[in-house]
Amino acid sequence: MRNYLRFLRRCGGVALVGNWHYYAWIGSLAILCVVGLNAYAKQFVAGLEITGMSDQVSWGVYIANFTFLVGMAAAAVMLVIPVYIYKNEDLHDLVIFGELLAVAAILMCLAFVAVDLGRPDRFWHLIPGIGIFHFPGSMLSWDVLVLNGYLLLNIYICGYLLYCRYVNRKPAKWFYIPFVFVAIFWAISIHTVTAFLYVGLGGRPFWDSSIVGPRFLASAFTAGPAFIILALQVVRRSTASSAHEVAPLPARPATVPAGIMRRPATPADMELLAVHLPELATVSAEERRACLAGATVLNALAGDVLLHQGATEDEAFFVLKGRVVVRREEGGRFRTTRNIGPGEQFGEVSAIAGTPRAATATALVPTVALCLHAESLRRLMRSPKMNEIITWRMNERLMISDRSLFVLRGIVQVSMIINMFLLANELFSGFYNSSTKDISWRYLVLGLKGYHALVPWFWTAVALNLTAMALLMLPLSRKLKWLNVACVLCIFGIWIEKGMGLVIPGFVPTPLGEMVEYVPSWNETLICLGIWAFGLLCFTLFLRMSVPILQGELTKGSET
Amino acid sequence: MNSDAPEAAMDRRSFLRTSAVFSAGVAAIAAGLAPLRQLGKFTSVDEFVQKYYKELTPEEMKAVLARIEDEVQRQYGIRPHVRDYKPMNGVEYVYALNLTRCVGCRKCVHACVAENNQSRSPEIQYIRVLKMPNDGTFDMDKGDHNYAPKSVPEPGFFYMPVQCHQCKNPPCVKVCPVKATWQEPDGITVIDYNWCIGCRYCEAACPYFARRFNFAEPSIPKEQLNLNMSYLGNRPRHKGVMEKCHFCTQRTRVGRYPACVEVCPTGSRKFGNILDPDSEVSYILRNKRVLVLKAELGTLPRFFYYFDV
Repeated sequence: MRNYLRFLRRCGGVALVGNWHYYAWIGSLAILCVVGLNAYAKQFVAGLEITGMSDQVSWGVYIANFTFLVGMAAAAVMLVIPVYIYKNEDLHDLVIFGELLAVAAILMCLAFVAVDLGRPDRFWHLIPGIGIFHFPGSMLSWDVLVLNGYLLLNIYICGYLLYCRYVNRKPAKWFYIPFVFVAIFWAISIHTVTAFLYVGLGGRPFWDSSIVGPRFLASAFTAGPAFIILALQVVRRSTASSAHEVAPLPARPATVPAGIMRRPATPADMELLAVHLPELATVSAEERRACLAGATVLNALAGDVLLHQGATEDEAFFVLKGRVVVRREEGGRFRTTRNIGPGEQFGEVSAIAGTPRAATATALVPTVALCLHAESLRRLMRSPKMNEIITWRMNERLMISDRSLFVLRGIVQVSMIINMFLLANELFSGFYNSSTKDISWRYLVLGLKGYHALVPWFWTAVALNLTAMALLMLPLSRKLKWLNVACVLCIFGIWIEKGMGLVIPGFVPTPLGEMVEYVPSWNETLICLGIWAFGLLCFTLFLRMSVPILQGELTKGSET
Repeated sequence: MNSDAPEAAMDRRSFLRTSAVFSAGVAAIAAGLAPLRQLGKFTSVDEFVQKYYKELTPEEMKAVLARIEDEVQRQYGIRPHVRDYKPMNGVEYVYALNLTRCVGCRKCVHACVAENNQSRSPEIQYIRVLKMPNDGTFDMDKGDHNYAPKSVPEPGFFYMPVQCHQCKNPPCVKVCPVKATWQEPDGITVIDYNWCIGCRYCEAACPYFARRFNFAEPSIPKEQLNLNMSYLGNRPRHKGVMEKCHFCTQRTRVGRYPACVEVCPTGSRKFGNILDPDSEVSYILRNKRVLVLKAELGTLPRFFYYFDV
């Protein structure tokens, strides 16, 4: 418990440190938060009168944003499913970012619901036990349950995995795998329940369509992964340093002759490794001795390079003493993928697979490393315990590869196609029949009786989504630049389609045929901006805390 | 001592910086919250902790009613009579409206506003009258909500007043997440204004545009206040909660007609107990061809329209 508190305190400490870009970013978000808070204080005093809402259009951008963000939260599952069900290696390192996004998105959802309430002071009426909870009758009570449940699930899963990484302990499967699978179903359910909020209103024909739920999921799985693609690149950029900034690595003292001291390994080295790697005890002494054939021990000084990116060798290393940082160069920029201490290995992936080294390993402090042949490593891994620990540590890295971004591109692509297909279905049933039931579709798409506030919104969304879909289907979006353009278009297109294009037209015309339009007020817009800034601030802080943990830089071992 | 100095200076500097950032943050938040100073009296402890209507004991209800009388007195300078009118046994109210006779004079709207202490600014009205063309379509999308001729009725049109239909299967009750609105044994759907959280889900659910939200603090001229008030009915509401037609519980539950029925100059509005076979509404339902709005939604309204001829 005390360890956990120290972990949280150190995470908090890390979140407050960064370069001036970081301070400028969180500073502007914080200012927007306060602006939003100020706008909300005004609304709290004046009432919802100072929004654009009315008795005729009784929900506006608050609920529209809420709906969109539930989708963003649910989209985390699009990283979880490939990794936990299809064992996708590319996305493995990145699942946690999806879950952190889910946490931030749900916090925004709760804030959007709170600002929409006429009497937020009475929120306790909604708490099961002390209030009166209309369950299972009201879909809104279902939403309260699923959203808060999803928030807790994700906080728990992220917290547990990050803490394990922090203390360098292998996460116990039973402590998180069941929750991960519950969270998969839960993610689908939060967005389905949100769709049912609308579909359950029989008196509003615009929403009386059984494909609202599938549409919600398709659009969520478009906008969510698109946002993650962009966020991952921001993480990748901001955690990388260009060649001349690599200074933080210690330079090798010039007085010492070049070349790392190498000597043959002895059984005593193996004993030393066993001290840091207790799993080695499961390997018989005979086997261990056999593994020492051809093995060497390296005595490196701080700043010595132990292996170079791009080289092809069949050697794997175990750190016996000291610390090694593994850095990968991509496009002239360097980023840390791992940070390795005694008992841990590096260079094992390329040694076993016979592929070129994916990164460069440098000693951070004077380091002693045991260097084994790939054959010997395979031999050690015949012990199930050793196999388990070594495979687990192979995954203990943070690598945002282009390949992982392209896996997500595939998801965005397919989801967008399905989303547009479902929209086309809705349009057909809304237009081919001249039922008066479909009059809201006419209002949305063409305008009705001289009212057409939503028409530009709708066609903008269609244009954005179609362009995004075309880009995603063309090989052009295999270039990151174009993929990013497509992602931005997706996010805005879906935001309009689900917000202004789905919530508002349900209210126009009213059930009595009255035409009253809705335009968000300035104050309402500021509140929305404030909540978005709050959510992005949360997400930024979460990333700022978790990246050093995933890179192995922030660990219990590095406590002072 | 000497060796400690730089570190101590560093600590002092980082402490100063941290506290500067922290106090700037607190100041910014305080400035952001400044509009709250104009809030005035928002709620009281007693109001905040008040229990759900159906869980109040008779003694607690008495205290609540007295507190509300105090609140009204403080706000308007007059002491009202606030009572908790209960439904009568063996009574189920039904409304019938004669579309042949209605001339669209909107006297019902005004009587309702006066009787039920509805906000004059912003305006809240429970009854909406539609001017509909006599073209054989009965299509509400053709209705005019804002007609304002010199005199009514106008040839070529009929008038259709719409208010809460007091459904037997009310969608608004089904969706409320806190059960702040429910159907009483006499068929009236009521709202506990002290329990409503103002999510407006019921307003989205209602197919008859019968529910209204207090987007701002209601205002009623003091001299126009109706002092005969009921807890679930016409007592003054506050901003942030829903309200709706409640068949004038303060009148009908002591055997009087709702204000709209009483005021109607053409006798188009009929009201009574459907469980009493001799009542006027029972006669109408038995002998006239009646219709309900949006029957296909299965809401089973207790509000029937009929034509005379």
